[in-house]
Amino acid sequence: MTDEMETTSEVDSGLEMYQDTMEQFLAAADVRVVYGEPIQHDDTMIIPTAEVLCGLGFGVGSGSGTGMDEHTDKPSRGIGGGGGGGGRILSRPVAVVVASPEGVRVEPVVDITKIALAGLTALGFMVGMMFRMTSHRRALPQIEE
Amino acid sequence: MPAITREVRTGETQKVGDYEITPTTNLLSIKLPGYHAGLIWNRPKAVIVKTPDGQEKILRVRDVTRLMIWSMLAGGIIGAIMIGMMYRNK
Repeated sequence: MTDEMETTSEVDSGLEMYQDTMEQFLAAADVRVVYGEPIQHDDTMIIPTAEVLCGLGFGVGSGSGTGMDEHTDKPSRGIGGGGGGGGRILSRPVAVVVASPEGVRVEPVVDITKIALAGLTALGFMVGMMFRMTSHRRALPQIEE
Repeated sequence: MPAITREVRTGETQKVGDYEITPTTNLLSIKLPGYHAGLIWNRPKAVIVKTPDGQEKILRVRDVTRLMIWSMLAGGIIGAIMIGMMYRNK
């Protein structure tokens, strides 16, 4: 009976933790997560913007079972519970909103490293295809007349 | 509760000088029914600017990095296909 109560409280605390984590996860859907705190500089105000990608998975379980004890030949009972989860939050700057007395404009944030990596990948596709095609041509058998 | 939802969310309006700025975001959320799992993708969509003369302007927030990455990858794939076709026709 006591074991059962302990397991139930453990499962409850696990579920509470799950609820808290879920609430924090759902907070990623807020507009304030994407638009940062405004930064004031003289007459100009800058609002940074970012893209947020958040993924989460969680599981809680418990169970019980009965069996015969080999040594005492008496029925024995066991109860257990457990849980686990994982998640990840990715955030990437996208642009800055610049508001000055002259007007409001949106300036993009360009990530040169990512673009360069994509460019190299694209180049790799083309060079790879070129090598593949030239090696195919070399591998063709010569037709002797 | 729907598994996949897509919505545009509007934030609080901020006053900067004579301008009023209202941020908006594009939100995509995926929740797997029956499983304790989900995904949220929140990205800036636009800022609505209200000028002192009462006009409203929508300034789109463009993700230049993503645009360039996808353009380059698409270019690479198209380039590879074209190279393949050129060599095949020779």
